[in-house]
Amino acid sequence: MAPPKNKAAAKRPAKAPAKPQPKPASVASGKAAPAKAAKPAKAATPAKAPTPAKAPTLAKAPTLAKAAKPAKGPKAADIIESDPSLFAPLTPGEAADALRTLTEDRRVAGMAKVGRYRVVATEPLVVKPPHWIHNHRLVRVVVYDYSADRCVDACVDLDAGIVAHLDITKAQPMLSREEEAIAVSVATADAAVQVQLELGDHPMVTMHYWGKEPRDLAYSRRSAAVVFGRHGGHPSLVVVVDLLDNQVTSVVPASQW
Amino acid sequence: MSNVINEANWKFHWRLTESAGIMIYLAEYRGRRVLWEASLPYVTVDHQRDALEPTSDGLDTRGPWWVPLGTRTLAGNVRVQPFRGGIELSADFTAGPYHYQQLWRFHDDGRLSPWLTIYGSGLHDQHTYHPHWRFDFDLDGAGHDALESFTDGRWQRVEEEGWFPHTGEADDTGFVWRQIDFGSNCAVHLRPHSWDDAELFAVRYHDGEWAPFSPRAAAGSAPFPAAYVGREPLDDQDVAIWYVAHVHFDQSFPYTAGPWIKLDGF
Repeated sequence: MAPPKNKAAAKRPAKAPAKPQPKPASVASGKAAPAKAAKPAKAATPAKAPTPAKAPTLAKAPTLAKAAKPAKGPKAADIIESDPSLFAPLTPGEAADALRTLTEDRRVAGMAKVGRYRVVATEPLVVKPPHWIHNHRLVRVVVYDYSADRCVDACVDLDAGIVAHLDITKAQPMLSREEEAIAVSVATADAAVQVQLELGDHPMVTMHYWGKEPRDLAYSRRSAAVVFGRHGGHPSLVVVVDLLDNQVTSVVPASQW
Repeated sequence: MSNVINEANWKFHWRLTESAGIMIYLAEYRGRRVLWEASLPYVTVDHQRDALEPTSDGLDTRGPWWVPLGTRTLAGNVRVQPFRGGIELSADFTAGPYHYQQLWRFHDDGRLSPWLTIYGSGLHDQHTYHPHWRFDFDLDGAGHDALESFTDGRWQRVEEEGWFPHTGEADDTGFVWRQIDFGSNCAVHLRPHSWDDAELFAVRYHDGEWAPFSPRAAAGSAPFPAAYVGREPLDDQDVAIWYVAHVHFDQSFPYTAGPWIKLDGF
């Protein structure tokens, strides 16, 4: 599925940046570019060395007043003039437009072709000035691609009709509503679960769950935990569902979770 | 209901997100920009066990889980209510045995309370909540900011990104961290709840390092926001901070977690 040519020019050209700005390679060349080349800024990948236990690095700072320095140069074309409407919730059409644009991007063509993906979230996104798309209507689209067991996290520029930022990682985003429903369906249909349910038990909530230890299947596989219990009562059972194979992998009394 | 509120010396916008509760954005105090955006990206819950049961499957500890606080878990409506000396937003979220009330309280004297009240019994008594707030303060502009931590009896500049747990030390008024703006001398002070067992992650703002839609990074990797922490300098930069509380369930719940935030120099 090839991306439409010159879509950026066809759609709302009046909102183009006032002065020439660098654009993603995929727009400038009209060809699909590797994910890294199209990022407008630093990639948000967990590749960065995680250092949660790092000790704070501190330096002397006698007082706030003494620490203050004169302002350096003019303030950027600044956040002060930011348009609040860019933060506004998406219309159904904007959400649909964003998803269409993403699925037409050649970098995720495999995902779109196989069609085993779930849309986790579509939300407005606003980038700070002076970034060249700071005044564009942006949408963050997060998709879980089951065909490749990966997370696609994209920033779609609706004004330019392009995917302006794309991260493809092994991160596990939250569950989509459809995944929650599937987990409930799989759990309630499982014979091992049915024999352990008590009268009045029903699915109370579906949690996004991941294992802490590598020997737990949910450590590396996309999983949900369905909590059963009586309405208004205590939970009775926790059922872990592997969403890659749609099967129950663990049934645990709630008190032993 | 309008999503722009202009009361009690504050002007701010809000919206309900898909997973991060009520988001506040473009907040100003006395006509000066304070905040680009702030939200509650996730509240994870993990469980502990006193002893292994004979029928145990051998996993002595389960991993954490969470459910988004947003449109799918909202119970009722988002409320906007004035109170003596300010205005507040509140919303209730329900997910099975977990119940939360998110609060944003704006005081006319420049204090701000992003809080979360935790109700509900959970699965059993042995569990801990980990609410994560993300604040992108832009004091009088996005750049030229820095972070300071009250350590060894004085405020000390944080040179680079990192993890800054509350050790119990605080200044005379209880504040532990502060973000300052060099150009204006404005500052935002943060005071943790004394029972929050709080910690702060400070990172340099980058487009692309938005709040992830889950704390879960790839298997074996550090979770977010720790996965964003590198060694970039923070001095004179655009700084984003994460405040994380760790609240163990006990019978005296509900418990209200979250920092006090106070503006200075506005």
